[in-house]
Amino acid sequence: MKILLQLAGIFTLCVMSEGVAALLPFAFPGSAIAMVLLFLGFLFKLVKPSQIQESSDFLLNNMAIFFVPAGVGLMECFDRIRSSLGPIFVICILSTVLTFAATAYTVRLVVYFQKKHRERRLRRG
Amino acid sequence: MDNLLTILRGLTATPLFGVSVTVFAYAIGVWMNKRAKTPLVNPMLVSLLLIIGVLLLFDIPYENYQIGGDMIEIFLAPATALIAVKIYQQFDRLRENWLPVLLGTAVGSAISMICVILLCRVFFLDRELLASLLPKSVTTAIAVSLSEQAGGLVPVTVAAVVITGVFGAAFAPLMIRVFGVKDPVEAGLAIGTCSHALGTTKAIEIGDVEGAMSGVALGVAGLITVVYTTFF
Repeated sequence: MKILLQLAGIFTLCVMSEGVAALLPFAFPGSAIAMVLLFLGFLFKLVKPSQIQESSDFLLNNMAIFFVPAGVGLMECFDRIRSSLGPIFVICILSTVLTFAATAYTVRLVVYFQKKHRERRLRRG
Repeated sequence: MDNLLTILRGLTATPLFGVSVTVFAYAIGVWMNKRAKTPLVNPMLVSLLLIIGVLLLFDIPYENYQIGGDMIEIFLAPATALIAVKIYQQFDRLRENWLPVLLGTAVGSAISMICVILLCRVFFLDRELLASLLPKSVTTAIAVSLSEQAGGLVPVTVAAVVITGVFGAAFAPLMIRVFGVKDPVEAGLAIGTCSHALGTTKAIEIGDVEGAMSGVALGVAGLITVVYTTFF
């Protein structure tokens, strides 16, 4: 019963978020809204992660399986993408490497400036 | 004999068929992944290939599988919302490093999308494929809804997200070396931004800080990508 109630609570939050998404003047995924609302709920102590522990462990640990049916849909649109398989592959790999590099260098730069800033403040103080 | 086949095929139209096939295929995928010890044998990839194989082999219509498949997909949105739990668990780290997290994921996500747009032009891919590939660096649930909204092909998005994640997880250690990453925070953020949840599984193996930051990055990068696609 406990787990059922937890699941029902999370499902309700998702339904409400879909409602919020429908009211927004622009397209924003309901699941992202639910994620933000849940995070705010934790932040303002409206819910505790331990209160939904069992069901969140279950859903998070098995997350990958929930995508399998969508992936099986590939078989329906395979003819559509057959001629573009090579480019799709190249795009995936190339952009992943570049994204990694861009993120890493940005973080390095920011951390570097933060350190410099802190040292300067220390010297002054 | 023919009668029997018709009856059996009729059975596949119950929702329980799709559900059980998916769970068994996924279990086989997890088992193979454990034995192979390489992220290239990804449970999601293995199971969707297995299911497609079974459907083709026994000539079972995709629509029949989909009835049960849809039941499993119901859990997708709740599971995405629960990523909030992961981010909240890392709240102290997030607060300490909020500026590198925010700027790193913002720049990384922008580069990812710019790359896809430019490369789609280079290869003359049409708008539908562009919409399917654009959100490929973020976690599947968010990518799927973004692709749907932009008129992309959801299965192509799922495949692209998995390829990206598998590649990112497999080559994360190599990329860390090639790009001279020394700081674990930097490594985690880069892995999470470029290869979402699948990359995060590798980041957790590399170290605690890497795993935590990768988890934070996958959530923040997902939200930032949503903001980018909504407003640009």
